[in-house]
Amino acid sequence: MKHFQKEFDELLDYWPDEDPSLRDLRLKAFNKFKELGLPNKKWEEWQFTDFSSINKFNFRLSKDSDLPTLPKTIPGRISNSYIIFIVNGHYQPQLSEIPSSVSIAKGLDHFRSNPELYSINNSSNPFLSLNTSMMNSGLPIYIKNNAIIEKPIQVVYLTTNISDELMNHPRFSFNLGENSESTIIEQYIGSTSNSYFVNAVTQVNIEKNAKLNHVRIQEDDQTSHHTAYTYYNLNKSSILNSTSISSGSKLYRHNIKLVLNDEGADATLNGLSLTKHSQHHDQHVIVDHNSDACHSNQLFKYILSDKSSGVFNGRVIVRESTKQTDANQSNKNLLLSPHSLMNANPQLEIYAEDVKCSHGSTTGQIDSEALFYLRSRGISKQKAIELIIGGFAEDILENIKNDDLKTFLSNNIFSWLEGTLKNE
Amino acid sequence: MLEIKNLHAGIDGKTILNGIDLTIKPGELHAIMGRNGSGKSTLANIITGRENYEVSSGTVNFNGDNILDISPENRALNGIFMSFQYPVVIPGVNNTYFLRAALNSKLKHNGLKEVNAADFMRLIREKLKLVEMDEKYLSRAVNDGFSGGEKKKNEILQMLTLEPQLSILDETDSGLDIDALKIVAEGVNNFRNKERSFLAITHYQRLLDYMKPDYVHVLIDGKIVKSGDMTLAHELEEKGYSWLEA
Repeated sequence: MKHFQKEFDELLDYWPDEDPSLRDLRLKAFNKFKELGLPNKKWEEWQFTDFSSINKFNFRLSKDSDLPTLPKTIPGRISNSYIIFIVNGHYQPQLSEIPSSVSIAKGLDHFRSNPELYSINNSSNPFLSLNTSMMNSGLPIYIKNNAIIEKPIQVVYLTTNISDELMNHPRFSFNLGENSESTIIEQYIGSTSNSYFVNAVTQVNIEKNAKLNHVRIQEDDQTSHHTAYTYYNLNKSSILNSTSISSGSKLYRHNIKLVLNDEGADATLNGLSLTKHSQHHDQHVIVDHNSDACHSNQLFKYILSDKSSGVFNGRVIVRESTKQTDANQSNKNLLLSPHSLMNANPQLEIYAEDVKCSHGSTTGQIDSEALFYLRSRGISKQKAIELIIGGFAEDILENIKNDDLKTFLSNNIFSWLEGTLKNE
Repeated sequence: MLEIKNLHAGIDGKTILNGIDLTIKPGELHAIMGRNGSGKSTLANIITGRENYEVSSGTVNFNGDNILDISPENRALNGIFMSFQYPVVIPGVNNTYFLRAALNSKLKHNGLKEVNAADFMRLIREKLKLVEMDEKYLSRAVNDGFSGGEKKKNEILQMLTLEPQLSILDETDSGLDIDALKIVAEGVNNFRNKERSFLAITHYQRLLDYMKPDYVHVLIDGKIVKSGDMTLAHELEEKGYSWLEA
């Protein structure tokens, strides 16, 4: 904690001319963070993850001087997409390309016009408070009303090799105007063997009749800690297809909160977590049905190898007086090693009557019948395992309609599999 | 081609096969009949190399080589195929992709050029016609959402595509209506030639009526107690198995 205090004081000194209202927010948020502290085993919603290692490093906030020589090509680029490139927390507009129907606002302006999004009063998530107190990067992105953007917009958040242990607290906001349609890829990548800490907050607001495909890719280095909070607010008849694929970080915790806030909103949340070595991935999802005739569908899968571990905690809440709710939640996990461990806890909280709900969770190993079947056709054991696991993972991508994006994600999954199975 | 001598084997410490002797020559179709639990499927599983079966004595030679110690995939690459009694559903693995991967694995093993997607589609469409399968089954996951009959046709489709030397048909007739049974039997019959051998495992003679085996063996308690020709199958249909029991 002392360490975070020092970094916080330095941040205030570093930006002495910051807007007083923003400074006031930072102070309040930091006090809240101090009051809460880092989660420990006694916190019910956080009990399966040990966060104490975050205190063992001297993470310091990224500065202007941490901008390295920029790479000639942006890593992890997806063909035929727009790009927003951020390196060590620094936005690179000269290397970015966005369509005219998209605009990037200033963080301060976004805060002034949406103060409620920055309120930490009712939050018990210390990482949200920490992000609010130290937010130093990320962008508010606006999609204009009626804009139909065919090509995906790829946001690459890269951490490079800096001698110190860096931390960044990106704050993104994606705002989809009425009747607009777009695909936003939020991608975290690292190219360093140093420890670092990314603590991201992303707030998404989808206006009436708008449709967003949101793909979150977490490929931070194995040396990193990554905590994240994603908040989705869906308005009338809006559609969200969210796909989260994470294979990075030694410790990863992602809180997702989705609020279906007006009639006819429709959300699909798919997640795939790929872990090896001693990685630990913890995802905590809350889907809140707060209006009539809303539909939500969740599918979270984990593939765990070596000594890695996973946590899935999914909660669906159906509020009183809502009607015609349709909510599904499914969690399926595949253990590739006798030393890997999964902890799953799906929950339903239903306070209404006119509800169609289902939930379930399964954890198992590779189906030996399927393996024998493929091998009996002359397919090698290694290739057969790859096919079975690939098949298990593949349906996470079912809502990705863009071919370039789908190929990119599918290739990433298969190269992870190839690399992991070689070492099994 | 296949030569089994004095095979004793079992699973989980339980002996199931008690000295099987069976020789299948190129071009022959042998049928093994027997009740549930007589060891028919165990025999098929041991020939194809399913894990967890223990062979306590005896040999299984294929084209002169002992195959008991080689992997299931290598047995397949050497020309052994089994049509499964219960074909396995493999979620997320596209049927066409699977079929092509299997064929290419075999072509590569034989030092031949692998087929590209377009050529494979031409080839598989021809084979589909032979088993009267709808093309829609190609785009599904392996056996996913297939009816019992379609699953069995999919097995025969794989046999026709991979062109094995020895095909084991494990209860291929179970779960088939009479039309599907005719199609499957026809598929097998058209595939027969003087090089290819077959081992059909079944409870009933009806499949054999269409396939006309060269030899019929009766398996009781893990032993072949009687061998003969098609008349033996008819006899079994009439009298049951008890007259053969000790």
